[in-house]
Amino acid sequence: MRYFWIVCLTALLLAQHASALEESAIEPFMKKNVEVVASIIRDKALKEDIKATKIFGIFDQVFDYTTMSKISLGSVKWKELNKSQQDEFSRAFEQKLKNSYMSKLNLYTDEKIVLGGMQKINNTRIQLLMTLFKNNEKYEVIYKFYKTNNNEWLIYDVDVLGVSIIQTYKIQFAEFLQKEPFEKLLEKLKNKES
Amino acid sequence: MRVLFAIFLLVSSIYAVENIGTSTYIGTSSVNNSATEYNSFDEEFSVKNTEEEIDPLSGYNRLMTEFNDVFYIYLLNPTAKGYSCVAPKEARLAISNFFENLFFPIRLINNLLQFKFQNSLEETERFVINSTIGILGFMDVAKDQYNINPHNEDFGQTLGYYGVGSGFHVVLPFLGPSNLRDMVGIFGDSWANPISYIDSRSANLLDSDEESIYATSFHVINKASLHLNEYENIKKDAVDLYPFLKNFYESRREKLIKE
Repeated sequence: MRYFWIVCLTALLLAQHASALEESAIEPFMKKNVEVVASIIRDKALKEDIKATKIFGIFDQVFDYTTMSKISLGSVKWKELNKSQQDEFSRAFEQKLKNSYMSKLNLYTDEKIVLGGMQKINNTRIQLLMTLFKNNEKYEVIYKFYKTNNNEWLIYDVDVLGVSIIQTYKIQFAEFLQKEPFEKLLEKLKNKES
Repeated sequence: MRVLFAIFLLVSSIYAVENIGTSTYIGTSSVNNSATEYNSFDEEFSVKNTEEEIDPLSGYNRLMTEFNDVFYIYLLNPTAKGYSCVAPKEARLAISNFFENLFFPIRLINNLLQFKFQNSLEETERFVINSTIGILGFMDVAKDQYNINPHNEDFGQTLGYYGVGSGFHVVLPFLGPSNLRDMVGIFGDSWANPISYIDSRSANLLDSDEESIYATSFHVINKASLHLNEYENIKKDAVDLYPFLKNFYESRREKLIKE
């Protein structure tokens, strides 16, 4: 019996290890999934909420929303919060990012997407460039990965046209929190219309 | 009006110089002793450009952001929307090509000023090809047939290339976010812009300020019609519109200058 549990546990650990994104797997993973996501978006028969579930099922494997939340608040502010506040904030911020993404899907039609150019910034940072062609313009998106303590690579930020999404939020949060309490910010994030 | 603007520029640049002394301290305070993961993120996401921290006009800027927002949502966007219903997309793209082709002098001068000779050459090739085979620039033959891509550069970027700092942020009426450096750049660009009307310039394509305003408005509306709903969509992400747009603009400009 004890042997059985050990086998199970080992299998579980191995399975987890297999699903974690390794450095060499970043490019193929992204290449495959950018295609998959694009085909989901293009599929007009799919309902909005099913699209969301499908797309975020893929995103959630590589996007580290908790780290994004930490960065956007800054470590000083983050440490001031208790665990439940941190969790609540992370969830609200994750939802905000997802809503923002979903609201942009109708901007996407059939642009050509070219993925390529993985750049290792240092031991714990990798950037992956994606280029989108719309009308006669070129849009650059950079996915930024960091290496976790478990040696897997996760996305902590996305640059769109040279603008860091998380940085943008960080600046807004900092300015907002100068005048208003944390609870107000949370409320504002949860408000779908804002 | 121009004199007033010049005085404003002068006063604000003096203000900027006064602030340089204090601004240099901001960066160093974030250096921390423990090198944990968050701290490295904090550093990575600290506002790199210390000038971004100084915002003496924030009160005015916020107000002007509101003004522009109203102008955009209630005037420009509905106009562009109506126009897009009348004019098919192909026509609007062609008109956009036509204007971009006209702005060739701005791109050429600034590519040259930044010693980007290959780009200058390609820009010239584009202008020659598109003005002739592309019928006055309405078609972008250079890109579609010969795969020669445009290289957008403006005076603001040229100043940045020569190491001129952005100066503090200024939101301009109608034009939106800008900063001291790019405001100077706008003057330079308008001098090299064929559809602006400048008395002291020896050659003017258009005959008067009025014509220039019409041409520019048409260009702006046409351009807006090709980017409908984008502003509204991006705006939804904002928790606070002014810092949101400010960061967006400054990061974007920084990236363009680096390229």
